[in-house]
Amino acid sequence: MNTADRAESLARAAAHFPELSPPTARDMIESVRLELGHEEILDGFQMYGGHLSMAVAPRTILHILSGNTPHAAFQTMLRGLLLGSHNLVKFPSGGLGKMEGFPGLLPAGLSSRLECSRQLGEDWPRRAEAWVVFGSDVTVAEFRAKCPPQIPFQAHGHRVSVGVVSDDPGLESCALAARDVSLFEQQGCLSPQVIFVGGDAFRYAEALAREMERFAAASPAPPLPLAVEAEIAHARADWDFRASGDRGVRVWKGTGWTVVFEKSEEFPDSPLHRFVFVKPLSENLPSCLARFANHLGGLGVWPGTPANAMRFAGAGFSRICLIGRMQDTPFTWHSDSRQNLASLVRWVDFEP
Amino acid sequence: MQHTDHYADLETEISRWMAAGGGGFEDRLLDVHRFQRAHNPAYRDFCSGLPEPTCWQGIPAVPVSAFKTAGLRSFPEEQTIRTFETSGTTGGSPGRHHFCSLSLYLHAATRGWIRAGLPAENVVAIIPHAAGAPYSSLSQMASWLVPQDRFFFSRRGELLAFLETAGKTVIFGTALAFLDFFEWMNGRRVVLPAGSLAVETGGYKGTRREMPKSELYHLFQERLGLPPDSVWNEYGMTELISQFYTNGLGRPHRAPPWARGLVVSPSTGIEVGEGEAGILKIFDAANLGSVCAIQTRDLAIRRGRDFELIGRDPAAIPRGCSLAADELLS
Repeated sequence: MNTADRAESLARAAAHFPELSPPTARDMIESVRLELGHEEILDGFQMYGGHLSMAVAPRTILHILSGNTPHAAFQTMLRGLLLGSHNLVKFPSGGLGKMEGFPGLLPAGLSSRLECSRQLGEDWPRRAEAWVVFGSDVTVAEFRAKCPPQIPFQAHGHRVSVGVVSDDPGLESCALAARDVSLFEQQGCLSPQVIFVGGDAFRYAEALAREMERFAAASPAPPLPLAVEAEIAHARADWDFRASGDRGVRVWKGTGWTVVFEKSEEFPDSPLHRFVFVKPLSENLPSCLARFANHLGGLGVWPGTPANAMRFAGAGFSRICLIGRMQDTPFTWHSDSRQNLASLVRWVDFEP
Repeated sequence: MQHTDHYADLETEISRWMAAGGGGFEDRLLDVHRFQRAHNPAYRDFCSGLPEPTCWQGIPAVPVSAFKTAGLRSFPEEQTIRTFETSGTTGGSPGRHHFCSLSLYLHAATRGWIRAGLPAENVVAIIPHAAGAPYSSLSQMASWLVPQDRFFFSRRGELLAFLETAGKTVIFGTALAFLDFFEWMNGRRVVLPAGSLAVETGGYKGTRREMPKSELYHLFQERLGLPPDSVWNEYGMTELISQFYTNGLGRPHRAPPWARGLVVSPSTGIEVGEGEAGILKIFDAANLGSVCAIQTRDLAIRRGRDFELIGRDPAAIPRGCSLAADELLS
């Protein structure tokens, strides 16, 4: 099975997950071309400058997945299979829902290249020629310490994402922002925790709250463990109290969602799970975000102009997109600012 | 009537009521609430627009964080004679509990100790004396219960020597202080006389150390010869005046007659059913100078009129690659 065949089969299986922006075969082939220089470079030698080169995928990749969203699992399994590797996939101990059925959607030639389990196989670390690890900084550090130095190690740790609405007097982006916040219960690395708003930020917060309610009516938040519910209740109580003595604070809440308007330039703590802050956009935004310089993920902007993107291109985000598309990553995106196929392969040059 | 007179009168009434056994909790607590709603500006703002409660469970509870962000006083600020501060793990401002009188605190601490069944004699402490820790409410409480020459904080050798020759003794300290002492003992063992007790409190604040209660209580048995039932836990906090006690493992904390715990659902705010878990609110009629209803950050199981603490259970909070900012910076 060559790269194109794998891409076709993968695209058919991926189409069963419309909520995860599934890539087409063309998208996958394009990612190979962009990252490795030629669509067929995994299948044989191709011209590369004045000689020939071939990208050789790891025979076996170990994937350690976190339980926050199915997105990461989806994309990393697709990439590993697209490369033609055998893939050892450690699902989170709590499972990953529908995503665990993905191997069953693949033709035998690909499903046999996926070994999935909620337990880390005893010999998996020894067998793997590349490691891809998703999780907390602690989890990543633990696996990094166990990974032999010659083995490629791709880490995907914690990220904080935000939105910036520079100019939206018609409040057109509110419904889109509500979707970005609510999808995947704000557990994804691209889920915005704060929306910074130019102009009338209070009015925006009010409108966002209406849209959060609307989204929740159509897609209710799932039941949560007690400890998580308690964290949300504490955060609501804290902000309710602050709002009672500060006209610069206002809280809107409904079943499974919370919007807090707050004026200070401090980056607030969110318990996540559809708990979002709206703050006025100020010139000090870069310094407010500087505390998270090594952990910034996605930035949603409105309007999505090049000037807006350039304004924040150096702030540390790996992805800038239009608000409303924060959860819809193209297959070619540089997840965590890196090329995800290129960082796993090794190269063989042939100079005839 | 001047506010000062009103406060002093109410304080005296509550004091007498506590001494008499604290019957009629609801009426007394509603009195305290009405007073605080009228005289505590930050709390008045918080209650603004909320109906007057008709039962003690309906009294609006402030989150403990309110003690960090607001000066919660039901007396004029200039009458403050003492402020206790919280110790915390996450940095930022401490919570501050202001007092214009320590009278009710003294009553609650000493009467609560006795009512729980703890001996008032032969108590030693392994926490600092109030003279050296003026912002610690725990040290203040201990200073009422323990003679000054029986404070052994940071004097482990002297404590060990004392315990080796002491008669029946009650040792009062934080879980962390006990753990430090046990580690320092380095395998040595003292068997305290029958009837001796330990009272541990406070967890492991300010450190990254954690130990399950069962393991800590095993150490009490191993190092001091105290069986689990002879080890008590005091649940209190800087933001409160009253304390809740239990002993042994798996038993609920009991309230003194002038205070109550209420376990509520985090999603509805309504009291949970018997045996169910939720957020713990504390209603403390002795907390006259600040707010008598507080929403703690602890989870608990409702056990009749008592509650069984289950901590905050942060491990149960799944975190993926979207990280709450507080954790990132901790």
